[in-house]
Amino acid sequence: MVADRPPFEDLYRAYLGRIYAYVRAQVGTSADAEDITAQVFMNAYQAYARFEARNTTPAAWLFRIARNATLDHFRSHGRRERLRRTIEHEPVAEEDPSGVAEERIQYRALLVRVAQLPERQRDAISLRHSGLSFEEVGTLLKCSEDAAKMLYHRAVKALKEAVEKEAV
Amino acid sequence: MSDEPEDLEVAALQRQLDDAFETTRPRAGFEDELWTRMQAQRPAGSRLRDAWVGLVQSIREAPTVPMAAVAAVLVVVLGASALVYSGLGRGGAGSTATNGAAAPAFGSEPLALSSPGAFGKLPAPVLAGRNSDQPTTGAPQSATSPGAAYSGPVAVKWTGKLALTINTAPVFRYHEPSTNTADQFATSLGAVLVSRPAGFLGSYQTTDFSVRVRGTIQSPPREPTYIVLPIAQSFINGAGAPMDLALVFLGEHSLAPTWQYASDTVISGDVARVTLSRQFGVSGYGYAYLVDGNGDRYGAEVDLQGNRPISATGPIPLSLESAPYSIISSDQAVQSVLASSPVAASGVPTATLNSVELVYSLVAAGDHSFYEPSFLFSGTFTANGTTYVKRVLVPAVDPSQRSS
Repeated sequence: MVADRPPFEDLYRAYLGRIYAYVRAQVGTSADAEDITAQVFMNAYQAYARFEARNTTPAAWLFRIARNATLDHFRSHGRRERLRRTIEHEPVAEEDPSGVAEERIQYRALLVRVAQLPERQRDAISLRHSGLSFEEVGTLLKCSEDAAKMLYHRAVKALKEAVEKEAV
Repeated sequence: MSDEPEDLEVAALQRQLDDAFETTRPRAGFEDELWTRMQAQRPAGSRLRDAWVGLVQSIREAPTVPMAAVAAVLVVVLGASALVYSGLGRGGAGSTATNGAAAPAFGSEPLALSSPGAFGKLPAPVLAGRNSDQPTTGAPQSATSPGAAYSGPVAVKWTGKLALTINTAPVFRYHEPSTNTADQFATSLGAVLVSRPAGFLGSYQTTDFSVRVRGTIQSPPREPTYIVLPIAQSFINGAGAPMDLALVFLGEHSLAPTWQYASDTVISGDVARVTLSRQFGVSGYGYAYLVDGNGDRYGAEVDLQGNRPISATGPIPLSLESAPYSIISSDQAVQSVLASSPVAASGVPTATLNSVELVYSLVAAGDHSFYEPSFLFSGTFTANGTTYVKRVLVPAVDPSQRSS
């Protein structure tokens, strides 16, 4: 037993929500997100005995498993299917009876926009806003910390443009 | 989390992303379901090893336990472990209740246990429509139904039997949910925020239904609740009794109760109302119903027209804390009811109370609200040729632990 390895249940309780949010930002339905999240933690549970805390953080380790599981999901379902389901599950146009001008930001709609970004941009945003450092994002995306920062900023810019385009 | 924003719009977008990721969470109950699945898939040897390690550690932490006692405990625990890990005595999928005789285990709710009396002195529960001539502080509260149409004094007599063997009962407490909690609940249903109407924590929408969430209502007290209204005409797949269809509907929308309930269906015209009456487990007693300000049982409700859902309402899932409290004896409860009765006199009807049950009722108390045990006495009386139901609620928590 590695001394600095926390009990798996602590990890599970601490990261379940974040991993789910990361996955949810990639796939079109909450049902798919639940399936993938379940697979992530099943895999992690089985592999935890081999986890070496001195090599990586638990967060980076879990998100690596989550990223792989999500990519596997896309491979088996096809990107076209992913896009179709993403579009199908876009929220309906808001019907605000009072016609209030300042519409609230619809988080789900924002995540749908994230899901439509190119893969690496989508990952950069999702991983970063799931709480990973740029160093961890870079490690997961197999690039340097600086490159991860650049990729992230480009992704946010692309997302901003997509949101603005949608608003027009 | 924002990184040197190039401009304010980018910074705003980054904040929205932070919020979006922080509020996107799986549906209520998913965390525990998955953990249970993961545990169930572990090899039996691994589970037994963990049980053994846990046992040894607990013994090490109690060095004063005599070795003979340790040996006896080991035999008992290992025997129990063998039963548990062989699947015997374990509920869940595949197990079958035997004619309802074997009550499900308590603890299906997310409970955090606290020490006895941990919540301090408690406000007392009250029934709506109590008689004006009743004492006001900590005294039994009464209501008449239906319609609470009789508002005059009613004397009571007790002809039933009450022999309670427990002397403590749990009190449950929840924190008042914030808009953020409501948002997370809605997100778990796949719904997005539309607005925050007055009196509600939020109004949300998916492609096929809208949902509103409100916080605790002070009077008559009602816990934080969701109200689901289908937007378009949709039908529940399959056929079956209204009860089955209601459960399918709730399950499809991640709203299946995680608490113990008993179901009931009332059909009025072409509308069927399925009620899942919430219950709380009380060790040594069984399950006690949750009742509202009229003494009526409640929980979640689904209205159906054929296999088309019309509406659904129920409590939003909240973490409950639990603490045991001393309760009054059976004799004290009966004495309390009788003491609350006005003196029988000419023109004052007398209700014959002949049944009693332990119930729970909500007491709204600001940041925290409580589910508290009470004795609900019931009976009938006749006045002006009409028969009324009389209910008297006696707070069960010992008066020394009540603030009102």
